[in-house]
Amino acid sequence: MSSKNWGKWLLIVLPLAAAGLLLWPTINYSLLSSERAELAADTSRAGREALARWDVDNKEAFESARAGRMKLGLDLRGGAYLTLEVDVLKLIESSADAEAIDDDFRSIIEETRKATSNSDVDVLTVFLEKFRARGKQLINYFPAAELTEQAVEEKLRRDATGSVDQAMEVLSQRINKYGVSEVSIQKQGSRRLVIELPDEKDTVQMRELLQQTARLEFKRVLMDRRMVKAFYAIDAAYKAYKSGAAPVVADTAKAADTTAKDVAAADTAKKADTAKTAADTGKANDPYKGLSEEEKGRRIIADFPFSYMVFGSVAANEQSQPQQFDLVGLKVNGVTPEQLPEKGMYMFRIPAQKLQEFLKILAVPQVRAAIPAELDILVSANGNATKPGVQPDYYEVYGVAREADLMGDVIEDAYPSFDNSNQPVVMMNMNAEGSDQWARITGANIGNRIAVVMDDRVWSAPTVQGKIPNGSSQISGSFRTEDAMRLAVVLKAGALKAPVQIIEERVVGPSLGEDSIRRGLTSTGLSFALIILFMMAYYAVGGAVADVALLMNILLTVAGLAAFGGTLTLPGIAGLILSTAMAVDANILIFERMREELYAGKTLKSAVDQGFSRAWSAILDSNLTNIAGAIPLIIWGSGPIKGFAITLLIGAIITLFTAVVVTRAIFQLLIAGGATTLNIGQKRTA
Amino acid sequence: MDLIKKTNIDFVTNRGFFLRLSLLASIIGMLLVLGPEIPGLGLPRLIEPGIDFTGGTQTTVSFANTATSAEQVRGALGKAGYTSAEIKSFGKDGDFLIRINDVQDDASRVSADLVTKLNAAFSKNGEKAVILLGADNVGAKVSAELATDAAISLIIATIIILLYVAFRFEFVYGISAIIALAHDVTMAFVISVLVNKLGILNLELSINSLAAYLTILGYSINDKVVVFDRIRENREKHRGMPLAELVNLSLNETLSRTLITGISVLAALLVMVFLGGDVLEGFAFTMFTGIVIGTYSSVYVASSFLIWYTERVKHKNVGAVAHTEA
Repeated sequence: MSSKNWGKWLLIVLPLAAAGLLLWPTINYSLLSSERAELAADTSRAGREALARWDVDNKEAFESARAGRMKLGLDLRGGAYLTLEVDVLKLIESSADAEAIDDDFRSIIEETRKATSNSDVDVLTVFLEKFRARGKQLINYFPAAELTEQAVEEKLRRDATGSVDQAMEVLSQRINKYGVSEVSIQKQGSRRLVIELPDEKDTVQMRELLQQTARLEFKRVLMDRRMVKAFYAIDAAYKAYKSGAAPVVADTAKAADTTAKDVAAADTAKKADTAKTAADTGKANDPYKGLSEEEKGRRIIADFPFSYMVFGSVAANEQSQPQQFDLVGLKVNGVTPEQLPEKGMYMFRIPAQKLQEFLKILAVPQVRAAIPAELDILVSANGNATKPGVQPDYYEVYGVAREADLMGDVIEDAYPSFDNSNQPVVMMNMNAEGSDQWARITGANIGNRIAVVMDDRVWSAPTVQGKIPNGSSQISGSFRTEDAMRLAVVLKAGALKAPVQIIEERVVGPSLGEDSIRRGLTSTGLSFALIILFMMAYYAVGGAVADVALLMNILLTVAGLAAFGGTLTLPGIAGLILSTAMAVDANILIFERMREELYAGKTLKSAVDQGFSRAWSAILDSNLTNIAGAIPLIIWGSGPIKGFAITLLIGAIITLFTAVVVTRAIFQLLIAGGATTLNIGQKRTA
Repeated sequence: MDLIKKTNIDFVTNRGFFLRLSLLASIIGMLLVLGPEIPGLGLPRLIEPGIDFTGGTQTTVSFANTATSAEQVRGALGKAGYTSAEIKSFGKDGDFLIRINDVQDDASRVSADLVTKLNAAFSKNGEKAVILLGADNVGAKVSAELATDAAISLIIATIIILLYVAFRFEFVYGISAIIALAHDVTMAFVISVLVNKLGILNLELSINSLAAYLTILGYSINDKVVVFDRIRENREKHRGMPLAELVNLSLNETLSRTLITGISVLAALLVMVFLGGDVLEGFAFTMFTGIVIGTYSSVYVASSFLIWYTERVKHKNVGAVAHTEA
């Protein structure tokens, strides 16, 4: 085989390999998810464990396949889609000094609302233009620390941009807390958020979540050995709840927690013993002794449904080395909470994959009743990573006072900054009333920690270094710049009141989604099969060659779409149909030309050459016309129009390659293989 | 197989008739479809733009009892306080589309509430009588934006296509193509509105259905470019041949390709019309009619206009020359 032919083979094989590579995540994802669905169908205990093991083993592969896969649009798989808009104008209005607002101000607001209601232009810019056009001064309307026009404008700008980030932060946290998997939340344009949910049933609850106002609170951190006791009490209460036992929580706890009782009984005599002997005794009493690892794990989960997830550590002070412990281990070794150091820095954490389970148990009312009245157990808002650079793999567990010491609405401003040693910090200012209370609280809690809690999750728990008299605080810690920005956004949630409105909502029920995907796929498949058969019947060998190119075209177009992170939607299918039609047309043009040449008595080689070169200009022009038309649709069109145009653009470019370059290469390979006549369905010449 | 022999059909002699016919059909169709309700003639308002362009809420439900009638649904909704609801049946028996235009807020509540109320009204022994197939809520702001975006992007796309064809061929070819495209979309739109009004298929004008019209545009421009390309080639080959003859020759030479491509694509779309399900069938139907119209317009609109316009301009030029000589 000559080197020239090698090039032609490569022309055919390489794109196919590339398409395979690009589509692999999609294929792998569907393989993995069907494997997972099979496991998930088994709801027995063994089945659940197998599923949990599978999740651990395949976590990375599954995540990467999911990230790289071709996504199906709402119209093809069901689910819900919400567009939210942050009302920036309302924010501007509410940050103005209530006493300064006059009719002029109101009419400017009204004009701005009209001017911005039908487009995504920047509201603040429009407002400022109208404001200045009337010769007004911002400082006459807005309160500010520095009374310059510039400073007020900067503050407004910061608040307006921040309000979208803030809404996004608040909403993603709520959605995560709600435990809906695979929810995507994205910023769109200057003041919109798009939320996609895979399951339509969630929309009503989702709406409730979205319409709550953020609740920001400061709560004292109460972390000592009482926490450990509370965890065991939760175990007992949850077990009782699960077995449907009597509602009197305290009693049930005692009755149900037999293991604890046994261990406790063994403990009483040795209360004063050192931890070492306690551990020895514990070993002798190990209730799980002699059990297989698997059986042991099962028993532990049954006995400690809550605390088996928790890992703790305690250190005498900030400098000393913390001592690690796990709650099940303490019980097994016969260490009671009372034997743990009374004073010390306690930390508790749970593995990231246990978060939902942990929150689920905490949400049970009977469980809440088992927690001491003054205490509340909360989880950190964001996961932490054990090592830098890895995925967050654990969450902190906090014990905080149930009563809030201060509400977040006293915060006037919060912004990220840097301290003297150039470490990221968050600056926070409070209003007069808040400052007084803050001075009292910080004064009474020097050396203790105060948690920043929003929607029942802890965002930060800084230690109070000293009394803060004027409400102007600096929060420092081991955070990165983005953590500081995030915390600032959250702190402002208490101050900013930019309402969020749902302006568009689409729901496709699962029955419609399933039905449409099934029928859509079958009929699309049938349509393509029909075209493929028709081409073979009409153009014989030529048709078969064109079919190879056609299949390659579809494969490459879909792969191209996947590579660009596109979503396949109904309009996308329309684009695919059009580009396929154009690919078929390209080959028909070529074959009709070839036939003309063959009828004119040309040899096969020259007929093939002439066929391609004569048809080329028509194919090029028609595809380029469509490409030219698709580009403005991509730039200026919205959602579905864009989806159509992207598929068409990719398809048309690929058509130029497959229908012309690839089919020609195949014909030339056939000729190089010695073919002198070829059946492209022409009439036999007598 | 070779079904289409070398032909010599006269496509051009009656061009004036076809051009007028197409123009007339487009105008009457548009007036009929976009015009207001004329009660005197018993003519209802035909166009029903979907909520994508008007704003409002739309809920699609499916009744377990397929014999449920639109009247029963209307009655139940009226009792539940939804007096302004429009009810339309579509697709399978027992499937209804309920639209409420005057609700701007809380659509998921409306949809969920509708399903609850209908279940309460129709279910016996606590069985689920109604399931929610889908719900859309489009705020007035979004609907205005969707319409503007669609219009802007379409206008720019048209201008770019015109410029490209004018650049690759001649300006008059670009004009001919755009006129033919306008004709295709208009006629396909008129037919869709009528079919939708007759309740055969759900062909409401939505942002998704725009993609079907874009497909028609794409297919049609492809068809025109193929013919124009042949004219361009033949003009070189047969110098001095009158334009009408040149166009007719080119139409005949490309006829085989036009029909074979058309037939294979139409056959594929027909499969989707019948088997595509609720979502694809309307889509495929619009494309099907559009492609038939587009194929016709390549021959009788684009080519006819090309000849008419060129000859008129030439005639004028000749007149102008004659005038200066006189």
